[in-house]
Amino acid sequence: MRATPLRVDAEVISNAAEGGASRRLVLRIAEGWPESEPGQFLMLSPGTRGRVQRYDPLLPRPMAIYRTRRMGGEAAIEVLYKVVGRGTALLADARSGDAVSLVGPLGRGFPEPAPGERALLVGGGTGIASLFELARRSSRRARVSVLLGARSAAELMGRADFESLEVELQVATDDGSDGAPGLVTDLLEREIAREGASRVYACGPTPMMRRAAEIARKAGLPCLVSLENRMACGFGVCLGCAVPRSGEGYHLVCCDGPVFEASDLSWEGLP
Amino acid sequence: MTAPEAPDLSTNLGGIQLRNPVLTASGTFGYGTELAPFMDLRRIGGFVAKSLTLEPRHGNPPPRIVETPAGMLNAISLENVGVQAFIEEKLPEIPEGVPVIASVFGTEIELYAEVCKRLAGAPKVVGIEVNASCPHVKSGGAEFGQDPVLLARLARAVRRATSLPLLVKLSPNVTDIAEMARVCEGEGADGISAINTLRALVVDVETRRPSLSNGLGGLSGPAIRPVALRMVWQCARAVGIPVCGIGGICTAEDAIQFLLCGAVAIQVGTANFLNPMAAVEVVEGIEGYCARHGVERVSELIGAVEFPGL
Repeated sequence: MRATPLRVDAEVISNAAEGGASRRLVLRIAEGWPESEPGQFLMLSPGTRGRVQRYDPLLPRPMAIYRTRRMGGEAAIEVLYKVVGRGTALLADARSGDAVSLVGPLGRGFPEPAPGERALLVGGGTGIASLFELARRSSRRARVSVLLGARSAAELMGRADFESLEVELQVATDDGSDGAPGLVTDLLEREIAREGASRVYACGPTPMMRRAAEIARKAGLPCLVSLENRMACGFGVCLGCAVPRSGEGYHLVCCDGPVFEASDLSWEGLP
Repeated sequence: MTAPEAPDLSTNLGGIQLRNPVLTASGTFGYGTELAPFMDLRRIGGFVAKSLTLEPRHGNPPPRIVETPAGMLNAISLENVGVQAFIEEKLPEIPEGVPVIASVFGTEIELYAEVCKRLAGAPKVVGIEVNASCPHVKSGGAEFGQDPVLLARLARAVRRATSLPLLVKLSPNVTDIAEMARVCEGEGADGISAINTLRALVVDVETRRPSLSNGLGGLSGPAIRPVALRMVWQCARAVGIPVCGIGGICTAEDAIQFLLCGAVAIQVGTANFLNPMAAVEVVEGIEGYCARHGVERVSELIGAVEFPGL
């Protein structure tokens, strides 16, 4: 059963640089935070400090739930993000002890692989953040290979966390400063050719996911992707996050996704 | 000493009896069920559903929204399930006791009227709000709200098509909104909703193209609130039918400004996106204001603004 989302105030525990423009925000929620599915997200208001509402920036930002830890009734939620604009720059100013409001968990997450399957998880850039919980949970029941890509070693998110899991980890960087030089989708192609797979999961920049979906399709494998998009609400009423379906009409990333079967999307029309 | 009674927040919007004056605006509250996880829908006065057309519409390609200072632009193009699916699939999911105002839109006057006719007898629907003002649909809408002759024809046609309480939601993209309100009153509308979004433009300087796929969009959010308040004040002075105030309302203080300027009810819009509990918090805040100021009935606040020299 998918958990009912909440709006809650959270306390910033830490908000530290991770390398490059990446940061890790850890939020404490005193009670009542439900169990989320891997790949679900939350809406985080970067401009608001506690009950003091600020309207510029106006809109909350969708952020993948990277990891959730529990201590009794408390939950500590981790969010990995990159400073790319005004909202994330303001979020980077949040100090430990600050209060931020959030809404979540939202969206449809990744279905986990069946027992004994071989799952290939392909993450690029901030998209890596959507895959950690999937890798952690799937590694208990399936054989999981995680392929992570970034521009450089400094930009690579979460490497140490993935190393702590029972997964096979490979890395590709554009400049060759960590792992194989080149694209993470080249690693995907090689892994499928080498050992085959049961299914592919991908999250990252649209060209990366599109390439991963093509590789999976040629190999006859199902491919699930998790999309990012602008959105104002996160729960299906602003209709701002529409992406074209493979047929006619649109999906909403917030509540039809963010996880989709790659074949259900019209990739030419994706932002 | 007796305990203070809870203030009476009830109000009447053109024949629609509401337990409190806080509604939510069309296009910001879906079909009602989307926000049910966050609140008891019976706490608010009611909601105005996503605008309905005769046939389902898919809406515009992305990008559909862009953020601006204290506001946002949208160009959704009235994506909706169509009136039939609304009646058959959406209305049954709304809890009993939640008043629903159906918002109606059409590219032709006859289509508006047909949607109104289809809504006759629909359970939970307590009124109709005619969206005469959607500013970002090339195929219609802007003309109705911006031209007093067209607006009169539209108001007359929908008035004939429904016996439900009828509100007309005005476009702010006009020189004299009071004239538009008077036109609707003259054609038998039971109330005025004001305002819809302001036509607006954001350009991406990297691509040198508009940030929205549609080019223009509608500006909403706290940025438009003072403009909306001025227009609501003008409408309320111009007509005898009730006015429902809309435009950037986020808090109880915002809502009370509109009540003081003559609105008998208000709609919370864009604030629902930032805070799905915004409308309930506005209700609670109005209760608190009434208690602090010794206001027994919210109706005491309506039109109570004091303008020096007027």
